[in-house]
Amino acid sequence: MEIRIAGLTKDFSSEGKRIRALDHVDLTIPANRIFTLLGPSGCGKTTLLRCIVGLESPDSGEIAIGDEIVLSKERSIFVPPEKRGLGMVFQTYAIWPHMNVFDNVAYPLKSRNTPMEEIRIRVAKALAFVQMEGFETRPSTKLSGGQQQRVALARALVAEPKVILFDEPLSNLDAKLREETRKELRRFLTELNITAVYVTHDRVEALALSDRIAVMRAGRIVEVGDPKKIYFRSDSRFVADFIGRANLLRGRVVMLEDAHAVIDTDIGTIVGLNSQKIAPGQEAVLCVRPEFIKLAATGAAGGRNIFRGKVETLLFTGEAYEGEIRIGDTLVTTTISPTVPVAEGGELFLSFDPDHCFLLPA
Amino acid sequence: MRIKPPLTPTLIVIVGLLTISPVLMLAVGSFSEGFGTFGNFTVDKYVEAYTDPELIAVLWNTLIFTLGSAAVATLLALFLSYTNTRTNIPFKFFFGIISIVPMMIPHILFAVSWVLLLNPSNGILNRVMMDLFGLDRAPFNIYSLPGMILVEGLLDLPIAYLIIAPAMSAFDVSLEESSKVCGASPLRTLTRVTLPVLRPAILASVILVIVRCLASFAVPSVIGMPGRIYVLATHIYRIISTGFAADYGKAAAVGMSALAASILLIYLYRYLTSESGKYVTISGRGFKPALIDLKNSKVPLLGVVGLLSFVLIVLPVLVLFYTSMLPYVMVPTAKAFSQMGWKNWTDVLRDPISVLALRNSLTLGLVGATLGVILSIFVSYVIVKVRTTASGILESLSFLSFSFPGIVIGVGFMWFFVRTPLYATVWALLIGYIATYLPYGIRPLSSAFVQIHSHLEESSRVCGANSFTTLRRIVIPLLVPGILAGWILMATMFVRELTLSVVLSRPGSEVLAVQILRFAEDGLWGRLSALGIIMIFLSSFLVIAASVLGRKLAKRDSLED
Repeated sequence: MEIRIAGLTKDFSSEGKRIRALDHVDLTIPANRIFTLLGPSGCGKTTLLRCIVGLESPDSGEIAIGDEIVLSKERSIFVPPEKRGLGMVFQTYAIWPHMNVFDNVAYPLKSRNTPMEEIRIRVAKALAFVQMEGFETRPSTKLSGGQQQRVALARALVAEPKVILFDEPLSNLDAKLREETRKELRRFLTELNITAVYVTHDRVEALALSDRIAVMRAGRIVEVGDPKKIYFRSDSRFVADFIGRANLLRGRVVMLEDAHAVIDTDIGTIVGLNSQKIAPGQEAVLCVRPEFIKLAATGAAGGRNIFRGKVETLLFTGEAYEGEIRIGDTLVTTTISPTVPVAEGGELFLSFDPDHCFLLPA
Repeated sequence: MRIKPPLTPTLIVIVGLLTISPVLMLAVGSFSEGFGTFGNFTVDKYVEAYTDPELIAVLWNTLIFTLGSAAVATLLALFLSYTNTRTNIPFKFFFGIISIVPMMIPHILFAVSWVLLLNPSNGILNRVMMDLFGLDRAPFNIYSLPGMILVEGLLDLPIAYLIIAPAMSAFDVSLEESSKVCGASPLRTLTRVTLPVLRPAILASVILVIVRCLASFAVPSVIGMPGRIYVLATHIYRIISTGFAADYGKAAAVGMSALAASILLIYLYRYLTSESGKYVTISGRGFKPALIDLKNSKVPLLGVVGLLSFVLIVLPVLVLFYTSMLPYVMVPTAKAFSQMGWKNWTDVLRDPISVLALRNSLTLGLVGATLGVILSIFVSYVIVKVRTTASGILESLSFLSFSFPGIVIGVGFMWFFVRTPLYATVWALLIGYIATYLPYGIRPLSSAFVQIHSHLEESSRVCGANSFTTLRRIVIPLLVPGILAGWILMATMFVRELTLSVVLSRPGSEVLAVQILRFAEDGLWGRLSALGIIMIFLSSFLVIAASVLGRKLAKRDSLED
């Protein structure tokens, strides 16, 4: 079901100061997709989620889930969370410690006065879906973190909600379990074909899980797009920097070449994509990710997007070297294949892939 | 769970009335001539109270008594917690027993049992020693300052242990290990590293025991008064209960300084325990300190620990039961056993005042603990979950009574109740009890509320339950253990309450502990012991009944549809 948010504003007062958590947020969350709200902590993403679910009441704006308006400050509509028919997985999982697994999962159905027979069938189905069959009578205090996460998911799904919401559900798991659970969650949600809203501050999680990502900053939506668009051709400097490691080089656009532009930076002139059509003479920032800066043969010297540099530091991380290369006075980060013979203090040539260098407004 | 805003102010008014009004009345009373001339300002009572030539001796006794008991309790607690956490001593469950069970035995009965053992004229242990070694004088005299300090120190040992043991087990052993690696001897490590790091816990324990001793009435009255050793609490008691006219003005004037000292010490204690975070070294990894192998000293140490738990738990009950079966106190011989019978028990159960006291104490325990816990639930909710400036005020207010010496605050309540129809009724005691023991209900309930993460409530709302269902199905069941702990603590405190009751109890509103004190003053040791055993049974019964009921409640809810 589609969620439409318009003009949502919410202020918090903390120690006498007013903090704007949400600043006129307009957003449409498409139906039956995994939609991620991504941003640094304090950007308002959790507040936005809690407004959708009804745990926070915004100061102004409107939220519609499907055809139903669940919140409208102007028309004084506020549907309480228990009437919105949503499912939610909390950051702490919020598994009730005084109930066993069955009672936890059955709770949403009992609250809706479902007959006992049907409850049994649907709880069994939900538990089977998250691969927790046979755990019905297990006390919830005797569950591991990963199991709690599955029970929380089963509980959120059991009443077949219109929308399921996730508030950083993987942040309490250790790194290895987090990766496995991420894959599983993606599989579960794709199988269910349900509208999912997912909040995280972890960019890798957002890229791996989502069909669409909205990046937030200081209570505003900065950019919305699919993971590849956000990663490769972000429209904003903040998003480009936040979504992955990036070398940002300031400069001035010299001339245009079809979709590309030539920009004059501290390390020299570079050719990059100019999808935002920045005019010649204007200030711009060139963004290039470390994996698109490659080693070039010595013979390529003087060619386009080829620069000579000196290895400043070299870190071996297993799958690659992470190198800081000094070109002139500028340090550029790049990843180098671990089999290449390089050493700190050595000289080398770097080639910047013009199709993965992109210009952003300064 | 949302409760309308007026809750916090309402609670501040209720708790304020309970805790501030007796203090206020004490202050007003101390500046008055007497109950009759209430409100006419005079400093006569202060002049009278503080020029009393006996006061110097009383203050000196109080100082020795409180410091001595604090030293005994804290040193014993340090010894016990060190042997428990750091050595391979067997039977470690003893330590749990020592720290919890003595709280069940009312202080007055513990004091009485020591009087029965060690009083100079017919103390059982004294008699045995005299027979054994052919002495013509009793070797021990419990009616002395050292006697008082020993008994009070043993009584306060559990409190000291509960403060020091967690600090000891949270101690990061690598601090000691690095001292050893640096070449320090074990003694130097102990004095330069271990004890300084534990200093906040040790200080906290000393201060808390001093506050308890200032408030203590059982030991000073049962052991101190027969030996003419008066401390502040018994000095105040003497002013209001002996002589031709009870002088509540003078009692209030003396009480003001005891109260001031207590409040000061409690704030110092709270400061120390809040600061202690930076000293207590809890590291996340599950380190297990290398246990010291006791080798040859294992058996003697075990003997000491065993003796302590015997002295603290078994001996008092044994002595009381033995005495309750005899017509008068005598050494256990064949002759004594042949004279045993239930006469004291039937006498007590036929004594109308004892029966009334039993009924009053039971009522106060049941009704008082229930009301006290209900109030504690709301107060803890506001303190933990609402968290506004006003709830901070409420927290300070509700912890104020933690520092109240019972007899002093009793005098304050006396000034308050004497002008109301509540005077000399059980209700006066009820209100006084709840006011004085409110922190004992709030503490377990606030920790219960802390454990209820807001997500647990919110996820219930998202699952389709309204706020009332959430309260019933999620919040209350999770609170049950806290409610139970608070109720048990309050009920057992109320059944044995002495210090406040000794002031507020009047003919018709007698309670168990006061009746036991009367028996002690009249030397009716047999009846005293019988009533004492009944009192212990009553407390234990309440504890067991509450636990069973609580477990049933918790079960019923999880099976409910």
